[in-house]
Amino acid sequence: MRDLIVAGTDSIPAVKADWASGLLEMTGDSYPENAFELYQPVIDWIEAYLAADRRPLNLRLTLLYLNTSSIRALIDILDLLETAHQGDRAVGVVWLYEPDNEGVANLAEEFREDYTFPFEVVAQDR
Amino acid sequence: MMKIDDPLGRQIDALLEEGAHQGHPLHAALTELYTRYVEQSRQIDRISHIADRYQNAERERGQGYAANYQRKLRQLEKIVRISDQYQHMLRDVNDRLQWLSSRDELTGLPNRRFMLALLGEQLRKLAKGGAPVCVAMADIDHFKAINDTYGHDAGDKVLAALGELFRHNLRAEDVCGRWGGEEFLIVLPGADLESSTITLARLRALVSALPGPVEGERFRLSLSIGLVCGTDAGEAPDQLLKRVDGALYAAKRQGRDRTVIA
Repeated sequence: MRDLIVAGTDSIPAVKADWASGLLEMTGDSYPENAFELYQPVIDWIEAYLAADRRPLNLRLTLLYLNTSSIRALIDILDLLETAHQGDRAVGVVWLYEPDNEGVANLAEEFREDYTFPFEVVAQDR
Repeated sequence: MMKIDDPLGRQIDALLEEGAHQGHPLHAALTELYTRYVEQSRQIDRISHIADRYQNAERERGQGYAANYQRKLRQLEKIVRISDQYQHMLRDVNDRLQWLSSRDELTGLPNRRFMLALLGEQLRKLAKGGAPVCVAMADIDHFKAINDTYGHDAGDKVLAALGELFRHNLRAEDVCGRWGGEEFLIVLPGADLESSTITLARLRALVSALPGPVEGERFRLSLSIGLVCGTDAGEAPDQLLKRVDGALYAAKRQGRDRTVIA
């Protein structure tokens, strides 16, 4: 599987999935017209990565605004990680936010609820 | 499979095997009957077994559906909760942006757009029989000289100091905004000529007591003010502003540092 790179726009987060390091980064706002189109390749990439071997998978999220379909897609992604974690796979999420944007931190906390894998919400140094 | 006992308590297959019964005229018919019975019993057993397996599978599937449904429901609730929270966040950001777009950055006072909307609203209320309103335009005297002599930073400092002064020395219902340059528009809802004159005299006294733009240099700040009290119902903001401007220029012409009533 190759790396997955999506250039970000005003309404689409930049996505960078690095197969060699097992790191998937998503940065920016997410209110695409078609969330399926954006997130299905990401979900496919994660599924392929998790199926390929036993290497750890880490997500580094710096997301700001998400529309409802993006929230749904992200929960699907986090559910995939939870299932992998239940199968003793090393997975983790770090959600970065700007210190003066507490609202984003609260939202990341909402996402974190129900999951048992390591999920950190961290204020980002500027 | 079931075994059928005869009335003596012996099994039929064992009786049919016994030599004593082999020559009996009904032996062949009984044997056939019994064989058919045994075969049918086997089939019933098999059918029951298959039916049980189907039922178990259905039950498990049903449980699976229920669990899946519960999981989807939880996920949906989570999506709705998070989505609602994002909407709150957007509304806050929107409110903040709206507030910022109505402010003058330097003085922190409402800007010209906000003041124009406020004036329009006050005049509409007045036209519908609302309380009267007084409107004043204040201009800092010799502001150009401050900029020319001490630089624009000093001029900005004066504007910021005046913004601070206006914010803290008006009634809660009065609104002062930066109209542009060194001009400030003050809207005094419900005020009459007498109370407005007192308010403006107090403001002018406070301004004259402000320290100059540069420490150690003597520079007495003063304001020229045009005041309009009492408007005709239905007067447009433009017309009223023209009258206020006229009064302000009269104040300038008459030697500055004064209030002129239109």
